[in-house]
Amino acid sequence: MRIRKLIRLARGNLVRELGALAVSAGGVALGTGCLVFFLALGAGVGSVVNQVFPISTREVEVVVPQLAIGNLLGEQKIDEATVEKLRKVRGVAAAYPKMQLRVPAVTRYNGLFFGRDVRIGLEVVATGLRPELVGEDARMPFEDRGEGQPIPVVVNRRMLELYNKVFAPQRNLPHITESMLIGFQLPVELGRSYVVSRSLPNPQEASMQVVGFSERATLAGVSMPLAAIERINRQFGADAETYSSVLVRAQSADDVPDVAAGVRKLGLEIDDTERRYAVQIGAAVGLVTLALSLLAALITGLAAVNTMQAFYASVRERTREIGVLRAVGATRSDVAAVVLVEAAATGLAGGLLGIVLARGAAALLDRLASKGLPDFPFKPDSFFDFHAGHMAIGLGIALLAALLGAFLPARAAARLEPAKALTES
Amino acid sequence: MSAIELRGVDKQYPPREPGLAPQELLRGVDLEVRRGEFVAVEGQSGSGKSTLLHILGGLDREFAGEARVLGCDLRRVTDAELAALRHTQIGFVFQSFNLLPALSALENVLLPDFFGDGLPDAERRARDALERVGLADKAQARPALLSGGERQRVAIARALVARPPLLLADEPTGNLDARTGEGVIDLFRQLHREGMTLLIVTHEARVSHAATRVLVLREGCLHTEGAEAVETE
Repeated sequence: MRIRKLIRLARGNLVRELGALAVSAGGVALGTGCLVFFLALGAGVGSVVNQVFPISTREVEVVVPQLAIGNLLGEQKIDEATVEKLRKVRGVAAAYPKMQLRVPAVTRYNGLFFGRDVRIGLEVVATGLRPELVGEDARMPFEDRGEGQPIPVVVNRRMLELYNKVFAPQRNLPHITESMLIGFQLPVELGRSYVVSRSLPNPQEASMQVVGFSERATLAGVSMPLAAIERINRQFGADAETYSSVLVRAQSADDVPDVAAGVRKLGLEIDDTERRYAVQIGAAVGLVTLALSLLAALITGLAAVNTMQAFYASVRERTREIGVLRAVGATRSDVAAVVLVEAAATGLAGGLLGIVLARGAAALLDRLASKGLPDFPFKPDSFFDFHAGHMAIGLGIALLAALLGAFLPARAAARLEPAKALTES
Repeated sequence: MSAIELRGVDKQYPPREPGLAPQELLRGVDLEVRRGEFVAVEGQSGSGKSTLLHILGGLDREFAGEARVLGCDLRRVTDAELAALRHTQIGFVFQSFNLLPALSALENVLLPDFFGDGLPDAERRARDALERVGLADKAQARPALLSGGERQRVAIARALVARPPLLLADEPTGNLDARTGEGVIDLFRQLHREGMTLLIVTHEARVSHAATRVLVLREGCLHTEGAEAVETE
């Protein structure tokens, strides 16, 4: 039997039994809607986690082990030779050394800050990065221009978010955007600390200029060109030869285990603190999403049972009609197909309705959240991330639930003996 | 050449209550109907007329004996082969019309086209069949809007749409008034003249009068009208 004819035959029955089948479709819609809603919520929250803890599948941060025996004896260090060895480890595509500013530095700002009179003093924590690591995130040159010139700095976007959502509201400071800060200069006093004992003789005044925002920049402080950090460390007699860490980029995500093994062979370790946080929080989000999805699956399962009852009733009611279908040439499988097409239509209608309900509920919750929740850091515009895949899963589950629910009634219809069916009153 | 051949067909139903004997509706029924014959089978209510018709139409396979319809051994063919036989070789007309209420008159007539490989030029055939029974103008009407006579004519059109060589009818005039019933009988006469084989189960004399041969089903056996012997033509 061709599908078009089958649908034409099923359509009449669907219209006639609209009431009973609407209840079935409603149950499927509820289950599917919950499923799509929770999947989108999980994906949305997952995106926020990725924003807070951006992790690359190809990159690892290599550091000196804190408890290494060599380290205790003062032998374990990351110098240029070590970086070269890291570059030669199997699977490594690139290695970018990083160096911390090893001399104290403070910034004092006393003046107008985007329309507000501000007096502020902060210890400067800085890390040196290779310019190629920052790349196009720097909108002005990210290179050391030598003593007496402003030191270019890049700031982590998450720091700007924390400033805007926590620091600025508490201190009544202006909300600022990336473009507002590009080119902004801050005075910095190198060799000086607010902790008197840490200050060095002959501090030097300089300035920092914000040249960009990058996820590569350190979260605690600012990032400067590596050459600038080396120059300042050397100038104040601090260690300018060994690096604090190395960002190692693997050729592919599959190479990361090989890279990790190579790193360990060199007596170094991988600092995966942030990755662990991301993985743990991601796993928690995934687990909650899974639990809620199982709940939705349970609702869909109950909808399938409801569908089964509705179709059993429908088959009982149409026993004589099924006898007529057999009398005019329908095979058992034709009869089953008619019932299953009706179920599929019910399931698809329920699935589509469920998706609409899920999107509606998500829009409502986002609206409530935008008005009712405080503007916390990384607060998303929407807590939901609806993918086409979620819709496909929702529709697939709805279809499956309806077909499974109608399977036994369809089989019962197919097994009806035509003579008996025709004599049913 | 035979359209229908039955040899020693028995049909029993399980006892109504435990301990009682099984109900024997057909007992060793022998029947031969030649192609082009118009046979009426009379009998009292509950005599097994409908059961006989269901067996002949391949709707009931739980019987003993031999049954061949249009050369097809009903006990040996598969379900699918039997469905194909009903699809194109046998037309059924039922007492209670058995139209599908959700479909229009035209769609009801087209019902055989929904199954198997469909019917060639199905819609034109269906419209021709409706015209033949005088209902061309009611093609889009739902059964609920048709009178009893009109419903039965739609059912006959449905039985004819595949142009089957054999028509089986179960009390086709049972639910119709005299005038409407007469129209249906005239249609059967016309089909017979065109060479169709008809076997009609009825308890109405006016239908039997139209037939070329009348059989009576009594106590599970077929008798020629007015004779006591079992029909063994």
